[in-house]
Amino acid sequence: MLLAPDTHPIDRPPLKSTLSMPYTLTPGRAAGVFLAEAKNRRLVGARCVSSGLVSVPAQDFCPATGGSEMELVEAPETGTITGFTQTAAGIIATLRIDGADFDCVHRILEASFDELEIGARVEAVWAEETTQSILAVVGFRLAPGAPVGEVRPLQHAAEPLPMVPYHLDLHYEHAFGPFYGRMFDEIGTNRRLIGVRSTAIDGALLPPREVDDISYTKTGTWMTVPDTGTVRAMSVIHLEFKGQKEKPPYIYAEIQLDGAVTRLIHSVKGIDMSRASELVKPGTRVRAVWSDARTGALSDISHFEPVPDGDEAASL
Amino acid sequence: MARHVGIVGIGQTHHSRRRTDVSQAGLVREAVDRALADAKLTIEEIDSVVVATGPVLFGAVNMPEKWVVDAIGARLKPVVRITSGGGTGLAGALAGYYQIAGGQHERVLVVAYDKLSEGALQYSISTLYDPFWGREFAVGIMGFSAAYWRARMDVLGHTEEAAAMVSVKNHKNALKNPYAHVKKEVTVEDVMKSRPLAWPIKLLDVPPISDGAAAIVLSSEKLAAHSTDRPAWIRGMGYFCEADNAAARSMLVSEPLALAARRVYRSAGITNPRRQFDVVEVQEPYTCFELSYYESLGLCAPGEAAELIASGATEIDGDIPVNPSGGCMGANPIGAAALVRLIEAAAQVMGKAGDHQVPNAKLALAQAGGGWANLRGVAVVSA
Amino acid sequence: MGAPRSVAVVATAQTELRSAWSNAQHVDLISSTVMRLLRIAGIGLADVDFVIDSGSDVLDGRSISNCGFLGAMGAHHKEESRVEEDGLWAATYGATKIAAGAAEIGLIIAYSKPSESDVSLFYASQVEPFYQRPVGFDHLAASGLQAQQYIRMGGSEADFAKVTARAWEQAAQNPFVDIEAAPSEQEIASGEMVAAPLRRHMMARSVDGCVAVLLAGAEVARGMSSQPVWITGMGSAMDNHAFPVRKPGRLEACEAAARAAYNRAGLDPRSASIAEVSGSSAAGELMVLEALGLSKPGQGFDTYSGPTAINLSGGALPADPIMATGLLRLADAHRQLTQPKVFGLASPETAIVHAAGGVGMQTHCVVTLGV
Repeated sequence: MLLAPDTHPIDRPPLKSTLSMPYTLTPGRAAGVFLAEAKNRRLVGARCVSSGLVSVPAQDFCPATGGSEMELVEAPETGTITGFTQTAAGIIATLRIDGADFDCVHRILEASFDELEIGARVEAVWAEETTQSILAVVGFRLAPGAPVGEVRPLQHAAEPLPMVPYHLDLHYEHAFGPFYGRMFDEIGTNRRLIGVRSTAIDGALLPPREVDDISYTKTGTWMTVPDTGTVRAMSVIHLEFKGQKEKPPYIYAEIQLDGAVTRLIHSVKGIDMSRASELVKPGTRVRAVWSDARTGALSDISHFEPVPDGDEAASL
Repeated sequence: MARHVGIVGIGQTHHSRRRTDVSQAGLVREAVDRALADAKLTIEEIDSVVVATGPVLFGAVNMPEKWVVDAIGARLKPVVRITSGGGTGLAGALAGYYQIAGGQHERVLVVAYDKLSEGALQYSISTLYDPFWGREFAVGIMGFSAAYWRARMDVLGHTEEAAAMVSVKNHKNALKNPYAHVKKEVTVEDVMKSRPLAWPIKLLDVPPISDGAAAIVLSSEKLAAHSTDRPAWIRGMGYFCEADNAAARSMLVSEPLALAARRVYRSAGITNPRRQFDVVEVQEPYTCFELSYYESLGLCAPGEAAELIASGATEIDGDIPVNPSGGCMGANPIGAAALVRLIEAAAQVMGKAGDHQVPNAKLALAQAGGGWANLRGVAVVSA
Repeated sequence: MGAPRSVAVVATAQTELRSAWSNAQHVDLISSTVMRLLRIAGIGLADVDFVIDSGSDVLDGRSISNCGFLGAMGAHHKEESRVEEDGLWAATYGATKIAAGAAEIGLIIAYSKPSESDVSLFYASQVEPFYQRPVGFDHLAASGLQAQQYIRMGGSEADFAKVTARAWEQAAQNPFVDIEAAPSEQEIASGEMVAAPLRRHMMARSVDGCVAVLLAGAEVARGMSSQPVWITGMGSAMDNHAFPVRKPGRLEACEAAARAAYNRAGLDPRSASIAEVSGSSAAGELMVLEALGLSKPGQGFDTYSGPTAINLSGGALPADPIMATGLLRLADAHRQLTQPKVFGLASPETAIVHAAGGVGMQTHCVVTLGV
């Protein structure tokens, strides 16, 4: 049985990470008109010109035939339950709006699960405040004996909404695993950078890993590397964007630590930024400036700074 | 051994900065309709669909092929999505190619798209980085792309001026491309003076951010004649990678690209790419990459890219035109960009490239790639 | 130009499937699995021509997540592709590549660590964002609706409990599934209602894990293995995104996928020795068995007492490493075909392998195997 990879286990709480992504989504013509008309409390459907089939809410393409020539219609606010379930989100049903040829999904309100049955008549419940969202209809409620409505031509349709705001928050708890865990423990506890020996080229791999990418054999023993190195590649970042951690301008650098055969990504500071591209270039010697924090993360290194000429010779 | 596969229909949208009239699904449909019309086919005559997009965080819909399938009209057909960052369009075409070459299907639709206006591009692509190791410093793909260019600058002579010439050439070529949305002529001086974003990358080294979709119909040899008497035959296609943090990873040459080229050239019988190819389309996320590709693709020797661009050889009327379509500089819907390169290469050998047609083009090379500059593909198509 | 070459499964390896591999990263699971696979197959990585992998950016919390795992996958300087769908689709891609004569040996990898993210959001984010996502329609709702439809076709809640109990009992005997105690039928039937009429255990349990499979062309396969398992047919199909538009109580996409695979294989499903299927709920498993032609509509429950050995692995209900589940079914079927005695099988000759993906199993892949 395969258990954990072959090194001592590390008990570190996972790295928490949240991706909080903003969007502006374009609904397209049919959904765009539907959402725009929601504020007028009108339900918009679409009839496929070639198949004659009606979808409510409106779709740009016929669900059955894929037809793309659609004429918009006004749909009634009544329909019939065709199926239902209950989840943590509430009661979700498939519904056939009167006059439609396809079912849709929505919430059922003001009813207990046990009261529901397939074939029950329902009517739309409009939100008190108008929103340009499907939730302008908060849901549907039971409406026994509600007369069967009809689909009508849509008069004076609103312009489709060009875009709607949206947001996605994704939360993660990333496990460190034995190799990263050991390395970050060393960084946090001893302010020491360690990798594992590459079995392809003489030197340390950081971050450490079970197998060498090139030889695809198990990596060798742990190996400490100093916190000095050489800039191999750099860029002066001026661009600002959402989610950015550093304030531009700053130097993005890929640094090869002495004894390592991989590069570490960090920033180089402590220089006159107006001359950044002259002062930091491939070949520039740098050393880590440790922050006061000891969190066991790469950010325990505040930044790298160039080693002044002569300093190294003195220390050698 | 493998069955011959041809591109028998091509289609792309008129790309733009923001399409507020169509959803992602509607955008896909436009390209599909155009490719099917070009191939004289309906969706019913397609056996299988491959969807390719950039990273899903671009668009707020996870596994978006499962949404756009309704718009494609591909219900109950095989539909699968291939992803490979910016190169995904070519990676998708490769999967479609093998579905036919391997005898599984006769006709495959490959559609690739991105609607980049809808998301936060740099933020979402910065999640390419390892959350433990460097993500806090990520600047999309621009940070490392600029840094690697800086590394090549001294050693290989890929100067800012040489890259600016790529921008000038591609901007000029895009003027003749009806699907491009950036239509402005720029000078070397304009590029050099443009605002630094991630120096040495400056504003005019960077393609636009675009909404766009592209589609091709691949066909077995048996059924190709139904669609066209002049398919673009696929002579070779390959897509190689490199571990992003392997020991001693080179920033000077793209080894996965060189590997892909070597493999594909062998199957296509290419021994002298500069002489043999009539036209080349490369996917340049930034101008600096086009210079690097010249060398990795063997259009010139390492260290000679600056000389090659300066000589005018890669202009549309040069001996080895590169990006007569304008490349990504005219439009860059990332998930579609690689397939657009293949479409442009195919259009050249099919004689359909319109105002940017290279006369008598018979053999064309398309290059694409993505990820951490470590996913790289090549295709050779012929008349 | 010859006919496409035959392709065989020559070796498989996997990690244990656990609710959480909290002491390992993705790369740790992947490299351990691939190293083990190469050892089992007795080859080196240099012998592998290409890698095709399955994983999900949204589950992994990384964009282009394959990009950071290439070294662990053994893909460095090789041809690599990411199929963002269950690994069984990756295997079918790999098989076409070998069939075309473009390669001899392909490495197929699928993995996931849903414990690091939010599975409900993984599914909810697949739902169209204008009409369905805002009202709370998601995989649970789709599965509950599907189960209700299935009951209308003749199924019962009692069947769901029995199917689930059986699946957990089987999985408890599967050394690769980490289970402390399998829930009893009683516990299942009285469990928390999560998507009425489905209770907690009746939805597939997300687990962490990795699986890797080696495929090879005919000649090489015969040289590598005394028991190559041949891929005899492959098919896949996707249904409408809009769940309410799909045919109630049936999985038409699964039917279409199966038809394509059986036609290629010349297989009558009722003659199959083994079926390994990935139902994302108890009702889903029954519907899959019916769609695969292993029973008549509404009688999926009878399949378990029929001639075909169904999900001896336990299937997806007790262990669903999303993105790897279907490729695991392939590995399970391969083990059963090559070591029948371990599983109490006489002389199995054919297997049906099934994978599904999406909200309410929107898409399906079927691969048939023969020895």
